[in-house]
Amino acid sequence: MILAKTYIKATSVGHALALANESGGSFRYLAGGTDVMVNKFQGNDEADLLIDISDIESLKDISSTDSHLIIGASACLDDLKKNQIIALHFSILLEAANAVASPTIRKTATIGGNLLCENRCTFYNQSAWWREAAGHCLKCNGPTCLASGGNKNCFSKFVSDTAVVLISLNATIEVIDSEGISIIPLENIYTGDGVNPRQLSKTAIIRSIQIPLLEDSISVFKKLRKRETLDFTSLSTAVTLRKNGKLRIALGGVHAKPVIVDGSIGDDLNALISQSVSKTRIIDNDTYSKSYRKEMITVFLKRSFEVLKLS
Amino acid sequence: MQQISLKINGRQYHLLVDDHEMLSHVIREKVGLTGTKVGCEQGSCGACTVLMNGKAVLSCITPAMRCDNAEITTIEALAKDGKLHKLQEKFVEKGAIQCGFCTPGMVMTALSLTPTLTKEKGEDSFLFQIKEGLSGNLCRCTGYKKIIEAVVEYASEYTDKEQINEIEVITKQTLKGAVGVPRPYIEAEKKVRGAAEYADDIMAKNALHCKFLRSIHSHALIEDIDFQDALNLQGVHYIATGKELPVKFGVLPISQDETAIAIEKVRYIGEIVAAVAADTEEIAVAACKLIKVKYKPIKAFLSIDDSLNDVGENEKIHTYGKFNNNIHKKAELRFGDQPQGISEADVTGKMSFEFDGINHGFTEPHAATASWDENGLTIITATQVPHYLHRALAKVMEVPLSSVRVVKPYLGGGFGGKSDPFPHEIIVAHLARKTGRPIKVRLSREEVFLTNHGRHPSRMTVEMGISKDGILKVLDADIAIDGGAYGSFGVVTSYYNGVLLQAPYKLNNFGFRTYRVYTNKPQCGAMRGHGAVNSRFAVESLIDDLAFQIKMDPCELRMNNFLDSNTLTVGQYRITSNGSRESLEKVMEQSEWKKRIGKLKKGKGIGVACGFFISGSALPIIWNELPQSVVHLKLDFDGRVLITSGSSDIGQGSDTMLAIIVSEVLGIGLDKIFVLAADTLLTPVDFGSYSSRVTFMVGNAAKDAAENLKKEIIEALAKQQDINSEELNFTDNRIFSYDKKIDLSWLEVVDILTANRGAVSVSGKYISPKLGGDFKGAGAGLSPSYSFGAVVAEVDVDTETGYVKVTNIWGAHDCGKAINPLAVEGQLEGSWHMGLGQAVSEQMKYYKGLLFNNNFLDYKIPTSLDTPDIHANIIETIDPEGPFGAKEAGEGAIHPVIPAIANAVFNAVGVRITKLPINVEDILAKMKENRLLSEKMNG
Ligand SMILES: Cc1cc2nc3c(=O)[nH]c(=O)nc-3n(C[C@H](O)[C@H](O)[C@H](O)COP(=O)(O)OP(=O)(O)OC[C@H]3O[C@@H](n4cnc5c(N)ncnc54)[C@H](O)[C@@H]3O)c2cc1C
Ligand code: SF4
Ligand code: FES
Ligand code: FES
Repeated sequence: MILAKTYIKATSVGHALALANESGGSFRYLAGGTDVMVNKFQGNDEADLLIDISDIESLKDISSTDSHLIIGASACLDDLKKNQIIALHFSILLEAANAVASPTIRKTATIGGNLLCENRCTFYNQSAWWREAAGHCLKCNGPTCLASGGNKNCFSKFVSDTAVVLISLNATIEVIDSEGISIIPLENIYTGDGVNPRQLSKTAIIRSIQIPLLEDSISVFKKLRKRETLDFTSLSTAVTLRKNGKLRIALGGVHAKPVIVDGSIGDDLNALISQSVSKTRIIDNDTYSKSYRKEMITVFLKRSFEVLKLS
Repeated sequence: MQQISLKINGRQYHLLVDDHEMLSHVIREKVGLTGTKVGCEQGSCGACTVLMNGKAVLSCITPAMRCDNAEITTIEALAKDGKLHKLQEKFVEKGAIQCGFCTPGMVMTALSLTPTLTKEKGEDSFLFQIKEGLSGNLCRCTGYKKIIEAVVEYASEYTDKEQINEIEVITKQTLKGAVGVPRPYIEAEKKVRGAAEYADDIMAKNALHCKFLRSIHSHALIEDIDFQDALNLQGVHYIATGKELPVKFGVLPISQDETAIAIEKVRYIGEIVAAVAADTEEIAVAACKLIKVKYKPIKAFLSIDDSLNDVGENEKIHTYGKFNNNIHKKAELRFGDQPQGISEADVTGKMSFEFDGINHGFTEPHAATASWDENGLTIITATQVPHYLHRALAKVMEVPLSSVRVVKPYLGGGFGGKSDPFPHEIIVAHLARKTGRPIKVRLSREEVFLTNHGRHPSRMTVEMGISKDGILKVLDADIAIDGGAYGSFGVVTSYYNGVLLQAPYKLNNFGFRTYRVYTNKPQCGAMRGHGAVNSRFAVESLIDDLAFQIKMDPCELRMNNFLDSNTLTVGQYRITSNGSRESLEKVMEQSEWKKRIGKLKKGKGIGVACGFFISGSALPIIWNELPQSVVHLKLDFDGRVLITSGSSDIGQGSDTMLAIIVSEVLGIGLDKIFVLAADTLLTPVDFGSYSSRVTFMVGNAAKDAAENLKKEIIEALAKQQDINSEELNFTDNRIFSYDKKIDLSWLEVVDILTANRGAVSVSGKYISPKLGGDFKGAGAGLSPSYSFGAVVAEVDVDTETGYVKVTNIWGAHDCGKAINPLAVEGQLEGSWHMGLGQAVSEQMKYYKGLLFNNNFLDYKIPTSLDTPDIHANIIETIDPEGPFGAKEAGEGAIHPVIPAIANAVFNAVGVRITKLPINVEDILAKMKENRLLSEKMNG
């Protein structure tokens, strides 16, 4: 009959890890659940055990040290604006957070969940019935990619709006799993393989996100979407210019992972743009066409450079 | 299963819930608080918003288990001690509630939003915060305008206490009066409380639940269906397949081409192949997965071209028809002499257009509950046309008409999408008969999109000619529309695409040819502005282009060509009142057209377009001698007038309209009037809510009934004393003569009337006059009266991204007389908002016949942030035959807005839009072409 599904609210990170380790079967951490629950509704997420980590207080703190701003992974997107340091120094992060989903969703959605939001594709974010009718693609254990008409690689879109900004800000994340605690650059967790887009160990929990405070910087964020709210990205760009003249470009929505280009003041801007474009893997799996999204990278980056007074 | 305790609206509950059950399900199904609505189940419409520990959450994606020990507040908790919450009052007062399905979620969102708002950054920022704050809550009816007004006022009061008194005075003013006084719907309070029951809110005792197995092939023969495993599943009661329901149905008598469940072959991906009745929805879903169907796919026809061609050896979608292709309907009408018109023209233009299909996008998914008893079948269902469903059910169930009762509860938006008899309605009737239990079904949002019946994908070529001095000489249109797998309203749609081009401009040489083809896709049907929206777009675009060519102001050109009042069109439509001129003048003035046209900088543009529409079809769908509408009134000893009418209030406010009309005629307050509508057992036949017929036809029937009641009263009084009926006034709950010889209260009159007689029932009716010519096709688009209107739109086009931001919509609509101006504004604002969607973002996209965007995230209805300032102007021309002069206001307004936006884009960047929705890539490409061209010309 209908399978026994389980839900447990974890009381601490240790508790959550223990539950995950013991689960044996399929489990899923639930932060806000705004991504997971929709994927479950569509039959894309079949985890039997939901481990709800949204009540673990220690994951919600936002604090700072001399060198870093530390945002707990379960901090709500809507709550970020209440923090003085973010409001003052990282308004770009607020812009990105405010570009996620809808205002009501942002009251539940967390920043950690946003970093790990599942990759998307017009052929994948569909009901089980739909995917059966279409013929299953790679991401649904099928033989080939439907969007590209036969590719053997999946380039479902990496869509996290906050991740591109955080990467441009050189953020790192603190990860806990049975092996212990490690701190790694955010971009390192993304594989570029649309079927398995992240390489965290299965039970790993992101505890926090750290943004360097000392590097005085200005940044520009842009997001392409049909409506001015609600929609996932078709292209996000974040460009950060640090006082030391370093420039970091991060793109979302145009590859299965964030696309990153580093440069410095004085670099040929057009070269930076073509470098960015050449690193993307765009396929027709979005409301906007492949060529349009590609074309918009240039427009968005040029506009960002203008704001940063680089051009 | 675990037990949780949660406090809902202050009451403690201990509930057993499934571990992965959603909060919305618990609130609605287990606690029975159905004020919280479910519109998408995927976090993309906001209908299910509730407060959890004071914070707004989407209950459809919140696990119930998470709410253990939490406090939940739903819409039902807001009104206290019998008084609405101030925010609810604002929603009612401002007319922010139409169908009311989005209302509970909207109110809860606004409530949690208010404390976060600040006026520190000025009024514009305040307004933006509100629009942004509501942007996750979709409304398909209102265009958000009145919702935002309500929230702005409430939130201002919240921060700014002084204003409260003043506002209360306005409240009182707006709540009295009859015809012409703006007022909220009579049921607005019930809706804003979450107390109005919609089809899915009806919880029949002992009901079984129904789910469908749907085809995964576009066009395939069904070789075998094996449902034994499914039937063996515990909790499954019955599984139906197509052969049990062999009788064909369809809304038009000439297109009875659909069976409730596919028999022998499937014609689109999503067609129902089997239906399961089970103890719970979950079991029914599991059973569907166990059904094994063997298909043999055959060639699918997915495009208009495919279907126009000879099919060769392949199998046609439907077998009937003389030719070996998939053409469903061909129609052609010609008036005057088009070649002559072309030769008379100094300038001609010919353009081709393409339109994607669009969906109604009503927020309430279809739902129905059917049951049988000694009197036959009763079905409570979300329908716009109880009458046609009544007939279809009797036909397919093979029972007498007298054994079918169709009841429409409150309805969460229709726009044409609930106006066919649907397979799911027939199937639950069948399953209920087979199992002897009530059967309930509700469609998921995906299923709603698959059911479709939306606007036809179309393409057309239109040619027009004009003289140098700007007189239209000729119009010729060649149209093909993609009907999908079944007929639906398609024959009417085919004609409307052509015939509804013969106004609002005078045309002596006019003709069209139209084809409707079957394709293996979900069927298309009627949608707001039925039939003529796309062809109107083409004509208004072409007129704009001709104006550009002869260097004439496009407003002036239109003014030069409008038909007059009291005239005939070339195809013999009788035009009575005509407010085209007034409408256009109004929007020109409001948009400062003359000052601004031609003077805006690149990227900014304004555009204009006009339109017209029928106020109901003069001919019924099913040929018969019944009046178009009958309304009954019953007056009893208590002084209360009961109106019974078969008409369907689908959120457009028709119940209120009936009450107002009766109130006006009898001079009694609305508190004495009660409306009972849309129940085919209790109410006299009305044909339904389609073709914008209700205010005109049912309104007239109600007026007739009220006048008949008045006559009865006068007769009763005349028996007592000598009176001159001319001199009697019915006002303010009194009946009096000028000389005050007679001066009676309503109740005194009622006593006189009912003495020795008891309750008095009277009837009123509306029969359309005989209209039109006597050629084949003359009946299409005939209406006793037509509405007219104009729109000016303003856009801001990003010349590097192609993004079109519509920044203003000024619209005017001649509705004859606004029986309820608040409701008329609501219809206009909603129409323009819906048109905006078709113009810039909405489209149904297919992958090999499989609908891509069957949810509210990917089907892009404009949110509050995407919707510009809408300025609605009501133009009143007092139609000679409309009730108190009223004509339609529900559909016509959508016609001009779409081409006005496209024409504004032309004005902004010189790009002529020939495809909808407007595609940013086309804009960029054409801008490049234009640039190349001008460089060439200059260089
Ligand atoms: C209508 C709609 C629109 C949306 N629009 C956008 C959008 O525009 N942009 C966008 O980026 N997203 C969007 N989303 C997706 C989602 O709402 C956001 O990505 C959100 O930030 C996810 O956060 P969450 O806390 O709800 O994540 P969850 O759904 O709880 O989790 C997401 C994933 O992260 C994992 N996870 C969460 N926290 C941790 C942790 N601390 N350690 C380890 N694993 C963890 C979960 O196991 C899961 O795999 C949208 C969703 C909806 C329903
Ligand atoms: S990109 Fe290809 S493989 Fe990946 S989800 Fe989309 S269709 Fe499937
Ligand atoms: S039903 Fe919950 S957001 Fe649509
Ligand atoms: S009133 Fe908002 S959807 Fe109908």
